[in-house]
Amino acid sequence: MLNKKKILVFLSVLGPGIITANVDNDAGGIATYSVAGAHFGYSLLWTLIPITLALIVVQEMVARMGVVTGKTLADLIRENFGVKATFFLMLSLLFADMGNTVAEFAGWASAMEIFGVNKYVSVPIGAFAVWLLIVKGSYRFVERIFLIACTVFLTYIVSAYLVHPPWGEIMLETVKPSFDFKASYLMMVIGIVGTTIAPWMQFYLQSAVVEKNIKVENYGASRMDVIVGCIMTDVVAFFIIVACAATMYAGGIRITDAKDAAVALAPLAGKNASILFAIGLANASLFAASILPLATAYYVCEGMGWESGIDKNFKTAPQFMWLYTGIIFIGALIILIPNAPLIPIMLVSQVVNGMMLPFVLIFMLMLINNKDLMGDYTNSKIFNFIAWATVVIMVVLTLVLVVTSFF
Amino acid sequence: MPFFAGEIFVSEVYRKLVLDQTGEEIGRLKDIIIGVGEPFPAVTAILVSSGKETFLVPWDQINLFNRRVISVAARAHDILPAAIPSTDILIYRDLLDKQIVDINGAKLVRVNDLELGDVKGKLCLVAADIGLRGLLRRLGVEKRGEAFFSFFNHKLQHRLIAWHYVQTIEPKVSRLTLTVSGQKVSSLHPADLADIISDVSQKERTAIFGSLDVDTAAEALHELEPRVQADIIDDMSKERASDILERMPPDEAADVLGDLPEAKAQELINLMEKEEAEDVQELLEHEDDTAGGLMTTEYLAFPPDMTVEEAIRELRLEAPNVETIYYLYIVDLEGHINGVLSLKHLILAMPQTLLSDIMITPPKTIPLEAGKHIVAEFISKYNLLAAPVVDDNLIMHGIVTVDDVLDFLLPTASRKKRRKR
Repeated sequence: MLNKKKILVFLSVLGPGIITANVDNDAGGIATYSVAGAHFGYSLLWTLIPITLALIVVQEMVARMGVVTGKTLADLIRENFGVKATFFLMLSLLFADMGNTVAEFAGWASAMEIFGVNKYVSVPIGAFAVWLLIVKGSYRFVERIFLIACTVFLTYIVSAYLVHPPWGEIMLETVKPSFDFKASYLMMVIGIVGTTIAPWMQFYLQSAVVEKNIKVENYGASRMDVIVGCIMTDVVAFFIIVACAATMYAGGIRITDAKDAAVALAPLAGKNASILFAIGLANASLFAASILPLATAYYVCEGMGWESGIDKNFKTAPQFMWLYTGIIFIGALIILIPNAPLIPIMLVSQVVNGMMLPFVLIFMLMLINNKDLMGDYTNSKIFNFIAWATVVIMVVLTLVLVVTSFF
Repeated sequence: MPFFAGEIFVSEVYRKLVLDQTGEEIGRLKDIIIGVGEPFPAVTAILVSSGKETFLVPWDQINLFNRRVISVAARAHDILPAAIPSTDILIYRDLLDKQIVDINGAKLVRVNDLELGDVKGKLCLVAADIGLRGLLRRLGVEKRGEAFFSFFNHKLQHRLIAWHYVQTIEPKVSRLTLTVSGQKVSSLHPADLADIISDVSQKERTAIFGSLDVDTAAEALHELEPRVQADIIDDMSKERASDILERMPPDEAADVLGDLPEAKAQELINLMEKEEAEDVQELLEHEDDTAGGLMTTEYLAFPPDMTVEEAIRELRLEAPNVETIYYLYIVDLEGHINGVLSLKHLILAMPQTLLSDIMITPPKTIPLEAGKHIVAEFISKYNLLAAPVVDDNLIMHGIVTVDDVLDFLLPTASRKKRRKR
C-alpha cells in the first residue's frame, strides 16, 4: 500500500543505501570493471548476478543490525568480541583501506593525466582539497554535488547501446558461468567481489543508518533503500563491463593506463570520450577519497574506544585526526612515487578487499544470529546460507589464487 | 577468608587455572559475579569452566585469588555445575568492552579493563581502566608498551576512573543497579547529560532516561535535538511525559511540544495541569521564529505603586518560579507595561521609594510578531539580558531571554544543530 506516510518515511530513510552504492563505483571499481571487460570480454558477466545477490544480503544484514541495535559495526564487534579481535581486524582493515585510498588517488592522478595535468601537481592539490573539505565541514553540501556528478555513469549505458554489442551473447554470458583457473582470471573474480562488497563500505553503511536514527518499525523502507542502491551499483558495473568488452576486447586493446579505458566511451563521445571518462573517474575518485579515510578513522576509533568526530581537533581527538590525515597523506604520497603503476595498484587494492571480506563477514554473521542482540530480527535460513556461501567461496577462491600463484 | 594481594586487573586473571584444595585443576576462570553494592560492588562468586561445564563457586569458598593462583577451599568433585545466572552481573560478559559514563569527565568512554581491590576486607570492583595502558594490557603487551614509551621519555599513565564516578548504561546492568546509580547521572549538568544521551543507542537511552528523576529529566530533555526529544517522549508513558513537561519552563515545554505531531502534543497538554497547560497553549499559538514563539511567560511583574521594600519581599516569594529575576517589569492593572527596573537598582534604592519613581520608562519592548533576528539585534543593541514582549496595545505577554537568542546565533555550537558527525 503506497500512501503519503509511507512515501515520506521512505524519503526520510533514503540515503545510506544510495550513497554507498555510488561510492561503490570508485576508482578501484571503474578500473576493475573496465579491465574485466577489456581483457576478458563478456566472460566475467556471469559473476554479477551472484555478486549482486551477495551484496544485497550483506548490506541488508548491515542495515538491519544498524536499525535494530542502534550501534555501529565497530561498536558491536568491540562489545561482543573484545579488544584483541577488534584490534587485529582493525589493523588488517586499516591496511586494506590504505590500499583503497591509494587507488582513489591513482584514479584521480590518471584522470588528471588525461587532462594533461602532471600527477605531481594534481595529487597534492587533490589530497589537500579532500582534507580541507572534511575539516571545514561543508561535507554534506559537497556530498550532494558528488552524487549529482555520479550521473556521468549513465554515459556507459548509452555508450554500450551505441556500439550495438551482441545482446544475445551478452545475456547468455550473464547467466552461464564459465570458469577458468588461470591466476589472472581468479584475481579478477576476487577483485570484482572485493570492489563491489568492500569491507569498509559495510562499516560506512551501518554508521550512516545508525546516524539516521531509523526506528525498527520503519525498517522496511530502509531495506528498500539498500536494495535499490545495490541494484543501481551493479547495473552500472554491468554496463561498464559491456562497454569496455565491446570496444576493446574484440580489438585486443589492453588497458595499461586510464586513457586506454576511456576508449569505452568513444562510441558515445567520439574524440571527447577521454574527457568524459576523465570527468567520471575524477569525480568518483575524489568523492571516495573524501569518504573512505573518514569512514576508516571513525570505525577504527570506535573499535578502539578513542574520541572521534570532525568537529574535534588534534588535542581532543588525536588518534582520529591523525588517522584521517595520515591515510590521506600516505595514500597521496605512494602515488607520487615515480612510475607508480596506477592501474595495477587500483586492481590489487580491490583484490585485497575481496580477501578481507570473509573475516568481516564471519563477525557479522555471528552478530546477526545473536538473539540477545537482534531479538526477532536474526537472519533467516536463506540469508545465512547465502552469507556463509559467500564466505566459503571467497576463502576457497583466495586459497586457489595463492596456490596457483606459487605453482 | 579469601586471601588476595593488592589490586588486580580482571584481564590478568581471565582464564587462569583454578585449583581445588589438593592442587587439582577444576577448570579455568570464566567470569566473575559481582553483587549490587554502593559505592563499590563486591565480588560474590566466580564461574569456572571446564570443557563444556560451568561451575559456580561462591566467594567464601575461595582460598586464594591473585595473579598467580586461584584456589578453592573445597574438593573438585564437591563443586557442582551451575547454569550461568542471567539476572546477575558478570564482569567479562556485562562490563568489559562496554561503554560507561565517566561522571567527572561528563562523557562516554569504553571499558578497556577493570580493577578489583580490597574495600573493607572484601574484594570489590574499584575502577574502570579506559586508557591506552588498559588496551595494551588486554593485548598482552603492557610491559613492552611501557618500555616503548619510556624510550621516548613518555611515562605511560594509567587512566582509571574510580567506580563511584562511573555510570553503566547497558540496559541490563542499569536495570539491576537502578536505584542508587541513577543518581550519579543526575549530578551531571543537563547539557552534558544530553550530549551523552544523544550518543547512545535507543535501548540504552531509554534505560538512562528512565532512571532520572523528573526534574533532571525535564532539564535534560530540553537540551536534546528535537528528533531525539520526540523519540524519547514516544518511548515513555504519557503520564511521565506530561509530568516532565509540567516541570519544564513553559517556553521549553512549548518547544518540545511544538516539534511533536499535533495529535500527540494535544494529548500531552490535556494531561498536564491546567495552569501549565494554559501557559504552554498560549506560547504555542505563536510562530516558532518570532518573539512570541521564543518568549517565556514566567517573569516578575509588579504594580507601579508598590514600594521597594514590598517588592523585595514579593521577589523572595516569586523568585523560584521565574526564568530571571534580574529585571522586574512594572505592569499596571490591565497588564500594560509601564516600565522596567533592574535588580541592581532595586537593591540600591531606599526601601520606601515607589517602583514607579525608579523604573525606566518608557521601556524598550518588542512586538509579538518580531522575527528572531530582530529580537537578537534588539537584545544586542540595548545590551539586555531579557526583552519584554508586548502586543499592539502594549499589554505584556512574556520575555525573551538572551540564552534563547544565543542558541540560533551560533549555529555550529547550538544544541538544535547537534549532530553526531
